[in-house]
This record gives sequence, structure tokens and C-alpha cells, in this order.
Amino acid sequence: MAGKKIQSAKRKRFINNSIVHVILAVLAVIWVFPIVWVVLTSFRAEQGSYVSTFLPQSYTLDNYIRLFTDTTILNFPQMFMNTLFIAIFSCILSTFYVLAVSYCLSRLRFKLRKPYMNMSMILGLFPGFMSMIAVYFILKAIGLTEGNLIKLALILVYSGGAGLSFQIAKGFFDTIPIAVDEAALLDGCTRWQIFTKITLPLSKPIVIYTVLTSFMAPWLDFIFAKVICRANSDQYTIAIGLWNMLQKEYIDNWYTCFAAGAVLISIPIAALFLYMQRYYVDGLSGAVKG
Amino acid sequence: MRRRAVSALTAAVMAASLAVTGLTGCGSGDGGKETVRLMVWSPQGDQSKDKGEWLQTCCNAFAEEHPEWDITFVYGVADEATSAGQVAQDADASADVFLYANDNLTTMTDADALVKFGGKYRAEIEAANSQTSLDSVTKDGEIYGVPFAINTWFMFYDKSVFSEEDVKNLDTMLEKGVVSFPFTNSWYLASFYIGNGCTLFGDGTDASAGVDFGGEKAQEVTDYLIDLEANPNFRIDADGSGIAGMRDGSVNAMFTGSWDAAAIQEALGDNMGVAALPTYTLNGEEKQMYSYAGTKAVGVNAQSDYMVQAVELAIFLGNEYSQRLHYELGDVVPCHTALLADEDIMADEVVAAINDTFNRTSILQPNLAEMSNCWVPVENMGKGIRNGSITHENSAEQTEQMNEAMNSDGI
Repeated sequence: MAGKKIQSAKRKRFINNSIVHVILAVLAVIWVFPIVWVVLTSFRAEQGSYVSTFLPQSYTLDNYIRLFTDTTILNFPQMFMNTLFIAIFSCILSTFYVLAVSYCLSRLRFKLRKPYMNMSMILGLFPGFMSMIAVYFILKAIGLTEGNLIKLALILVYSGGAGLSFQIAKGFFDTIPIAVDEAALLDGCTRWQIFTKITLPLSKPIVIYTVLTSFMAPWLDFIFAKVICRANSDQYTIAIGLWNMLQKEYIDNWYTCFAAGAVLISIPIAALFLYMQRYYVDGLSGAVKG
Repeated sequence: MRRRAVSALTAAVMAASLAVTGLTGCGSGDGGKETVRLMVWSPQGDQSKDKGEWLQTCCNAFAEEHPEWDITFVYGVADEATSAGQVAQDADASADVFLYANDNLTTMTDADALVKFGGKYRAEIEAANSQTSLDSVTKDGEIYGVPFAINTWFMFYDKSVFSEEDVKNLDTMLEKGVVSFPFTNSWYLASFYIGNGCTLFGDGTDASAGVDFGGEKAQEVTDYLIDLEANPNFRIDADGSGIAGMRDGSVNAMFTGSWDAAAIQEALGDNMGVAALPTYTLNGEEKQMYSYAGTKAVGVNAQSDYMVQAVELAIFLGNEYSQRLHYELGDVVPCHTALLADEDIMADEVVAAINDTFNRTSILQPNLAEMSNCWVPVENMGKGIRNGSITHENSAEQTEQMNEAMNSDGI
């Protein structure tokens, strides 16, 4: 009797697991499908945007080579460097803002603390592109919409509002015992020293999480770059370049290069993620128990 | 995204504190020469080394012609379709001289961003263009640009499948080979309706006349389109399927514009044929299809600081020399009357076909703001027929709905 029961329980578990795995496998295929398709397209030798077969008939590396050598119409290397430059600097700036603001809100008590937190929450409810045209005209009034200053303008746009997205980092800092700070204060640390020498070393996961998100936003942004760059083609970012490749005049010639470009821009992000993955998960689940 | 929501304020405050240097002053010229700074926009192709730097060549030639000015050119990239939006958004920071497609004319005149050409300039433009291309850049009797190219769509076909006689009628073609048509794109689909007497704003300029895409004549066309879509030799061209079919031989004729000519030439080689639009047979009668036609023109920004020079440059970029160079370097089909009389240029099949289309089988795309209501309903008609939701049973009702939607401002 007992043996039979165990067996049927085992069988039940096996069936359950099988069903779950099949469903997961189907979902995984659906989810990965578009990505696989883009990667395949980037190696496709046949031209044009439309093909009748899912798998390319022949493969080539030319799309990648062309992306970096044929720079007369769409200068991809330059766009890549522009974007990298903008992304790195806005990443540094906004990481600093986010962490500094979070630290202040977590550790200091001042009159505007509550109002500031409320204000940031309400402002956060509005979509970013709402302010797009206003941002453009403000930047223009200051004279930041021509030549190389566009890069500065974009860095300001991407990092300027960073101080409002402190919630996650503040939540993390809240979990570090205040006693650690107090001990440091007694030993003669200044607030700045506590921040740099005590809080930050204890918060590696959230620092890395902040770096990742701050890098991705400018790296992937299209809408602000498009509005601010306008006709200055030497300042274009990758997103604008990729969009251009899909215009009526270029799509037939550049479609496979577009796919190659899409693969290339995901490489830095993918690399960062793979390297920092464990911190990333730690950072979101919160808390150094100290 | 949210992080950037507030960047308006923060960015402004930060940037202000950086106190960046502002505008460059325009100093007085040396030796009595006037110093001029002209910003010029064109598509990237017109500025690339591969294609011979049309824009730079023309601008330098212009500067040589005018030694009295010390001109600095600043080049920017904006193609004909998007330049209007940029100029209308912020004319002050836009190019002095730019290229635009004439269907964007109202976008810019509504923003008071486009210069009217008068006096000797107007006479010069009138002398160099046909009445149709003049009409394409005219609004309320004023000329707003220097036309430099014809912009329309026509037919490419495989000569080994169709004879020159066949391509005169769409239904004959469908018996002999596979035809692909951008059925779900209203820029193309409306041609069938216009062919059977449907009109847009009277002669195209009278907004109060409204759109007449209803009644029996329109319903007949809808019925024809339903049958056309069901024809086994008919393919809907969407997302580049037409040109892919031309490459692998599964499609023998397609409808597109000069921008695809090079790719089709590569696919078909000597077998490439080009023709104006065919007729189609509706209830035993031959009806001519009519495409929307327009021009591409050189426009001058109304906010330009150097108005005389900008207007002179615009005229220069649209003159015979520039248009010929544009054709030679970038295959841009000219509209200058002197060039259209040139035998060498007319020997080019594509130019001849575009010209034939422009003169014979097209209507000028109306330049009215109300035109913007006309695209989606026709597109939905095409999509409805493709999806099978519009059938012979409900074609009358659906056609009326399309007509109503085209005449309303509702969203």
C-alpha cells in the first residue's frame, strides 16, 4: 500500500514538473524568438528588409564590417563614440546624484525632507517626454543646441533629474544600522567621510544597480536625442542612426546593417549585466544585515 | 524615463550655472565684403563623398558667383520629409535654406516659417517650371519654394514577363504575371478611387468643397479592390515584400518611386521596365489610375538673418546647373523645363516614366491642412479588405464610412 502511494506521488510530481517545463520552454522560445531573429538578420547576406524565409539563405560578416567602414552616409563609429561619451558621463553624474540624495534623505533630518520626497513622487508620475519641447527651448536659450555643446546638453538632460529617483537606494541605505554611523561620528568622522568610507563600501550592490540603470537610460534613449540633435548629424547618437537606417531611402540597403547595429549596442549592456548580475539581484532584494 | 521628467528644470538650472558662451557675433567683413553665415540642410546623401557632395559643390559654386559676399556655409542633415517639422518647431534655430517635400508646405506656412518668393525671383521660378510644378509650391497665389525634383510613384516591371502593350492595363498584367501593389498604404491606394471620378477638395485647392470619395462611383471601386485582392496573381506590397519578390522573381511588377530604382535595376538588370500608371478595367470600362504627385523644393526660412543671400542660394540650388548635377550625382529626377527637354536626360527610362506619370497619370496632392484627415480612412479600407472584414455585402456602407471619416476632423 505504502509503496504504491509513494509511487503515485512521484508520478504526480513528474507529471506536474513536465507540464511546467513544457510551458516554460514554450514561453522561453516565444521570448527569445525576436532576439534570435535580429541576430540572424545581422548575419544575413541577402539584402532588403523583407525575406520569405525565417533562416537566412547565406551568412556573412559584411553587415558588421560595413557598419564601421561605410561612414559616408551614416557614420556609425562616430555615433557609437558619441553615445558612449554621453552615456559614461551621464552615468557618473547621475550615479553621484542618486547616491548622494539617497544618503541625505536616509540619514539627515531636515525640514524639506518630507516635502521633497512627496514632490519627487508626484513629479515622477508624469512621463518624461512631456517636458521635451520645454527642455529643448531652455537648452537653446542657454546656447547648448549647437555643435559639440549638444553632448553637454544631452548629459545634462540625462543626469539632471537623477536626484528624484532615489527611492530604491534610499530604501537600501535605510537598512544599514544607524549605529554604524553613530560609531563613526564618535570617532570623528564627518558626514562626507561616513558616506564615502562607511555607507558606500557597505552598499556595493546598490551602487552597481545605480550605475547600471544610469548607464542604460542615456545609452538607449531616442526621443530626447532626436529633439535636441535636430540636423546636427555629427552629434547623432546610435538610436538616431538606427532610426535613420529604417527611413524610406535607406531601409532596403541598410536593413541588415540595422540589425547588426542593434546587436552591437546590446553588447556593452549585456557585458555589464553578466559581470554585475549577482550584485544586481542583491541590490534589488535589499539589505546588508549588519 | 521618469527620471528625465523633471530634467527640464534641473538641467536648466545646472546649465545656467555653467555659464556657457552664447552666440557667435557676426562681425563686419574685410575689404567691404559682407560676412554671411548660411545654414543649409539637405539629406545625408546629398552631402556624402560617395555621391559627389552635391550640396557642397553647389554652395561653393554659388559662393564663387558672388565674390561680394564672404559666405560661411554650415551644413546640417534633414531630409525632405522631416525638415518641415524641424523648421516649424523652431524656425529661429533652423537652416536658412533647406529642402522640403511640397506636401509639408502648410506645416511651415502655418508657422510663418517660409519665405514667399516675389519680384524677379518669382519670375525666375516661373520661367523654369511647368504650371503643375509651380502649383505644387503655391498657396493662396504665393510661391513658397524653388521646385527641384518630381516626387511621385509609378510602375516598375519585368520586361521578360510583360510587353509594352500589357503594361497599359492592370488586369491584362494580372493575367500574365504577378503584380505587387502597396494596398495598405493610402498614398498608393487612393489612385483607384481618383481614377473613377472621386475628388479631393474640388480641384485640390478648395477646402470647402470637401472630399468626394462616396457614392456609387466609390463603391464600384471598393468592389473592384475586393476582387483585386482576391486575385491569385496579386500580392500586397508591405514591409519591403515587393522588392524582395522582384529579387527572387516571385513578383513581376511593383509600384514605387525613384528611391527604389537602383535596387530594382540591380535585381532585374536589362529587363527592368518603367512605365506610368496603367488603367484598370471597371465594369468593362477602362479607368486610368492617378497617383498623388508633388515636388521637392528649396525653401527659405522666414527667420533668416541673411535674407537676400538665402533667397539667392535657394534659386541657385534649384537652377539648371544644380538640378543637372543633382541628377548626375544622386539620380534625383529634375523638374526644370530646360532639363526635361534635354535628350540625354529624357533617354533615361526612369526620368521619362516619372515625367509621363507627372504629366498624364497623376493629380497634384492637395496642399491643404484638411488633407491630413484623408490618409487613415483609405489605409483602413485597404486593411479591411485584406483582413476580409470588408466584403461585397458591406462595401457600400464601408465606402460611405470612409468618405465620412475623410470629411471629418474627428480623431
